[in-house]
Amino acid sequence: MRKIFRILLMAAVLAALVGLVACGGSDEPEAAAPEPTVAATATSVPDTPPTAASEAPAPTTETAMAAAQPEGGSRAPSADLTFDDRPAQGGTLVRLFADPPTLDPHLAGDVTSSVIINEVFGGLVTLSLDYQPVLDLAEHLSISEDGLVYTFILRENAKFQDGKPVTAHDVKWSIERAADPDTLSHTAETYLGDIIGVKDKLCSEDDAAAGKCTKADEVRGVRVIDDRTVEFTIDAPKSYFLAKLSYPSAFVLDQEQVTEDGSWLDQPNGTGPFKLATYEIGELIILERNELYHLGPPHLESVQMILSGGSAMIMYENDEIHLTGVGLDDLPRLLDPSDPLHPQLHRSPQDFDVFYIGLNSEQPPFDDVKVRQALNYAIDLQSIAENVLDGRVSPATGVIPPGFPAYTENLRSYHFNPDLARELMQESEYADALASGDFPRITLTISGSFGAAIPTYLEVILEQWRQELGIEVDIQQTEWATFLQDVNDKKYQMFSLGWIADYPDPQNFLDVLLHSESQSNHTNYANPEVDRLLEEARTERDRGRRFELYNQVEQMVLDDAPWVWTWFSGEGYALIKPEVSDYFLLQMSIPKYRYVYFNQ
Amino acid sequence: MGTYAARRLIWLPFLLIIVTFVTFALLRVGPGDPVQVWLGQHQNDEVRERLRAQLGLDDPLVVQYVRYIEGVVTRLDFGESFQFRGKSVGELLAKRIPVSLQLNLAAIIITLGIGIPVGLFAALRQGTGVDNVVVAIALAFQSLPVFITAPVLLLVFALYLDILPTSGWDGFFSPKIVMPATVMGVPGIAIVVRLVRASVLDVLGQDYIRTARAKGLSETIVRWRHILRNAMIPVVTSFGFTIAGLAGGTFIVEIYFGIPGVGFFTINSLFARDYPVIMAFAIVSTTLFMLANLIVDLMYPLLDPRIRLGAGNVA
Repeated sequence: MRKIFRILLMAAVLAALVGLVACGGSDEPEAAAPEPTVAATATSVPDTPPTAASEAPAPTTETAMAAAQPEGGSRAPSADLTFDDRPAQGGTLVRLFADPPTLDPHLAGDVTSSVIINEVFGGLVTLSLDYQPVLDLAEHLSISEDGLVYTFILRENAKFQDGKPVTAHDVKWSIERAADPDTLSHTAETYLGDIIGVKDKLCSEDDAAAGKCTKADEVRGVRVIDDRTVEFTIDAPKSYFLAKLSYPSAFVLDQEQVTEDGSWLDQPNGTGPFKLATYEIGELIILERNELYHLGPPHLESVQMILSGGSAMIMYENDEIHLTGVGLDDLPRLLDPSDPLHPQLHRSPQDFDVFYIGLNSEQPPFDDVKVRQALNYAIDLQSIAENVLDGRVSPATGVIPPGFPAYTENLRSYHFNPDLARELMQESEYADALASGDFPRITLTISGSFGAAIPTYLEVILEQWRQELGIEVDIQQTEWATFLQDVNDKKYQMFSLGWIADYPDPQNFLDVLLHSESQSNHTNYANPEVDRLLEEARTERDRGRRFELYNQVEQMVLDDAPWVWTWFSGEGYALIKPEVSDYFLLQMSIPKYRYVYFNQ
Repeated sequence: MGTYAARRLIWLPFLLIIVTFVTFALLRVGPGDPVQVWLGQHQNDEVRERLRAQLGLDDPLVVQYVRYIEGVVTRLDFGESFQFRGKSVGELLAKRIPVSLQLNLAAIIITLGIGIPVGLFAALRQGTGVDNVVVAIALAFQSLPVFITAPVLLLVFALYLDILPTSGWDGFFSPKIVMPATVMGVPGIAIVVRLVRASVLDVLGQDYIRTARAKGLSETIVRWRHILRNAMIPVVTSFGFTIAGLAGGTFIVEIYFGIPGVGFFTINSLFARDYPVIMAFAIVSTTLFMLANLIVDLMYPLLDPRIRLGAGNVA
């Protein structure tokens, strides 16, 4: 019978992949999601300590950042290592994967695409294994004192996969291509919009004719100094800009190939550690080692990704694939130390995400902050996490998830306090309405395709509100595309949603979700003081001070309670064959197959 | 017969225009929007408006429809997928539809290959215990949902016996097709068994059977030439409707056995509001449905010479 749940889960998970994983996060699409998550995930911390970007001698008046280490971890195949110390070379890693919606870096906005794109392409900046922005194609970066001008010097050995060197012209052309309205990129504005001139470049002829914007042929803010030097100018000293540049929107393409070859995506000439050797839609992707890779060629000969689906656990047990996420139904037996597969089970860290129930502060009864706070105090998340969700999640204590930059434990969060909840309800302007039965009707909207079951934890939360506060809430279920439309139009009174990090900066959570003018703020939450602090944090250059600002904002948001906080994702599990070493289960999409090697 | 087929085919374009227009209009009138799905939670009204304009999605419905049909008719261009960006819909579907067709064909062979003989067998032993047992078993298989048969088959044949591959697709003649085709074909057997059984019983009572036997024909000839052939007409009719589902595929089976068919792909496209893919799928399945029914109609005279097509009278 467990298999029945497996396939239903698979259906739900695959459905989730369609749209729900649109904003980033980890990249293990075949793993089963814990009940409350919107996306399928299984991740783990690298078992080798990641190498932080080492500081290069910096010019005195400038902030500088060194190049990424050639290899993360301790096994860098550098010259001083003898051959014996190098991991075994060769071999093919086989895994299940899903069809990437696109392989064009400038069009990708989803995790599945990003995983492949990160292996095949690259940009000036990438993320280290501990998610710090580090240099990739560039070997040196200097940032002007006012924080507006970023000057990159390209590595001498930075080459496209066909051997052509990457030049500053390629960088400029690539940014301009991403920002060309005809490219139809939906990510360019988010990730590149801080660069001066990108918005003008994005302006379409129609909009220019209508006077909405001024059309520009080039991106003013990207300037070629010489073949190896390129300079970016941004509109304000935003310290999160560099992290954004690690996103595929800023990746460098081969101008010649893209402009001359209509089917360039079949054999793209990228700069990443692997070449796309084969892509049969719905069947197979084969990535082959790029011998010219500027950080040293990967150990693996190739990576095979089976796209046609299949029963991951059975294939794993049958030795057809090297790794898989672990579904809930298989977990109990794998956790048993006597199970032969137990030693292959790897714990993985939680995703960078937060789940919440949004409360529309312009719709009664949520226009009263006391009602919003009362709802938070009336639910026993700790108990639900343990008893309903088997500890697969932890109660969300704030907006920023554990492990993420600016995460802090020093917040006054909500905890189960039914007396206080009732007291707050009594003090609210809806106290009489609640007593007389005139309390506004509440509908909680959740997204779900295939007639997915309503998560049990939500039912428990609703039951607690009913028991502790006497508030009845109806549930309404909507398919994802419709849900998106309505939630973006701020139509829902109460909705359940989550957010997964796009880039490792607290701005990506707090500013994007809670600034009153952000279009991803779906609750109509508006606090001028929060807005002011968020704006200050955007350009604050001192990291400590900046994170303090964000923590301040987080506390204010908690007090204002535009959400009912629910979960941070808990840790997950994955199975990895014992012969596979250094497969890091990561929380964000960065090139990772180059670390992997077979130990036997 | 040729003119009959030609006359039927003349209607195809009209049918297609109706189907495509209704599909087109419903997709755009319904909630959700492909650009919004791209943007996901990164809502940005300006970006959305700009992309919608670039894609021509803000033009009047009729303009969009005519532009689409023009592309299909004049250039056989079904457009580019919204979900698989940069990929042409024709290319995406051309890879998947044949896979689903072959899988369904294999399933139908199993359904008919087992269903017809068993139905005949049961009818010839009508009322005996054997008859009851056969019908009961068939019904039991019909009641088993795919998500039970699929895992059970996988466990038995792939994991314990290890004689069949777990999943994947290597074409019609690969052993990989056996399990999915069986899972899909088995539930239909009961329908065929019952249909054949009822139909054979009906034929058995006809005068010409008594005549055939009376004039001393061997039982084998009576069974195959007289009974089965006449009993096949209702089976063929129902078969026509089965074919209609051919291109649709069965998405659970496709997911479970890792078959790159069209079923799951199309359902996904619907959720992603991938208009061009859904439109192309509507066109293809309408055409297939129409052709399948035409073929079924053309088969009647082969089974029963008394039936003449297009003559206006069926004896």
